[in-house]
Amino acid sequence: MKLGAYLLWAAVAAGAGLLVLLGYFVDTQVILGLRLLLMQWAVLLAAAALLIGLINLLAVHYRKVSLQEPGWPYSALLILTFLVTLVLGLFFGPDFQVVLLLFNYVQLPVEASLMALLSVSLLVAGVRLVARRRDVFSLLFVGTALIVLLGTAPWLAAGDSAVAEGFGAVRAWVTQIWAAGGARGILIGVALGATATGLRVLLAVDRPYGD
Amino acid sequence: MSTMDLLGLALLALFLVLMLLYAALGRRWPAVFRPMPALDGLGQAIERAVEAGERVHVSLGTGSVIGSDSAPALAGLTVLAQVASATSMGDKPPVATAGDGAMAILAQDTLRTAYARAGALARYQPTSGRLLGPTPFSYVAALPTLLATEDISVHMLIGSFGAEGGLAADFGERRRIFVLAGTDDVQSQSLLYATAEHPLIGEEVFASGAYLNAGPLHRASLRAQDGIRWLIVIMILAGTVLRTLGVGL
Repeated sequence: MKLGAYLLWAAVAAGAGLLVLLGYFVDTQVILGLRLLLMQWAVLLAAAALLIGLINLLAVHYRKVSLQEPGWPYSALLILTFLVTLVLGLFFGPDFQVVLLLFNYVQLPVEASLMALLSVSLLVAGVRLVARRRDVFSLLFVGTALIVLLGTAPWLAAGDSAVAEGFGAVRAWVTQIWAAGGARGILIGVALGATATGLRVLLAVDRPYGD
Repeated sequence: MSTMDLLGLALLALFLVLMLLYAALGRRWPAVFRPMPALDGLGQAIERAVEAGERVHVSLGTGSVIGSDSAPALAGLTVLAQVASATSMGDKPPVATAGDGAMAILAQDTLRTAYARAGALARYQPTSGRLLGPTPFSYVAALPTLLATEDISVHMLIGSFGAEGGLAADFGERRRIFVLAGTDDVQSQSLLYATAEHPLIGEEVFASGAYLNAGPLHRASLRAQDGIRWLIVIMILAGTVLRTLGVGL
């Protein structure tokens, strides 16, 4: 490990992190200005990193195609569509008719169908959960999901029968009291965990930027 | 500086002091953590993967480095470092994927550092850390091909995920491989609870470093979290009692 370099990276990360953190608590112009400047640099660096990431994506798939690794036709298709979209976007801009067409009639439907697939996957996962992990919590989870679904379903919720009202009331009781309370408890835990992770990065104990 | 700002700063300072205190007392007063089946099973799954010449995949999610959702991915990088150290002598290096360019670069740095520490820098491949797709669903759409073509038998999702996390876990389950998944978003956690065989609930995703022996400060920070949590519980209860008694806060 190069000690000098490691100390420099750690000092830069900790210093920038502390300044941004202080900006949330200390209301002085100097700190706020520095925080804003650092955030702007971070946005610029993130944009540059996206470009590097895309080059990395191309490199990975180019390697797959050149070595004819399993699944290489998918990689070839990715490279082709990537380059076509990039060239069209660079030369004609994001509002060009063909780019919009590609976005609206290729990317959007594919993402929408993945979202639709999620509902099917969740149904299968629910059945699988009861079959595989048959404990109190799993049964409670699936049972609660069913009650909330029945209380939300339009054919029940739209009606004014006693059954619909009953399901609606149970759903409200479950989501507004039990689920909201549990979610708040989980959120407190997540916030504490995130704070601990951030403090470890500030102390240079966790160094995701390497040595 | 308002009273709330002061309170927040004081709480942060207390957190830091507790972390350092527990780290100093760590050897004399070792931490005992509750069993966590998901992380207990992970070690065995990684051993099996190394023996079988298969690969471990660590997904750092679709969140960005500069967003508020970066914390679980940073925890994921700690896990990645531990996994890379454990598998550095295996036939196939672990692969780390992200939905953000900066996170992919951090994954590469983490892998390179872990290999250098293990004295196996020659085995490091820059393409082991990669951007899989720049949007959440393009990321998840690329996962089935990755899982199918790279001999992956351990599929870990530790990062920020939205609804696409459920699909990401399900793709692993369909291949009947070891799936461990945790994130910070409560709604996504419920999806992962249903789809992943080994879900991490609540702050368990941030505890993974302590359970995988990433260092004394990881264990100390877990104990500090418990201390602060008790403080918050007492404050909530005291506030409830005072409010019930009609005392204005």
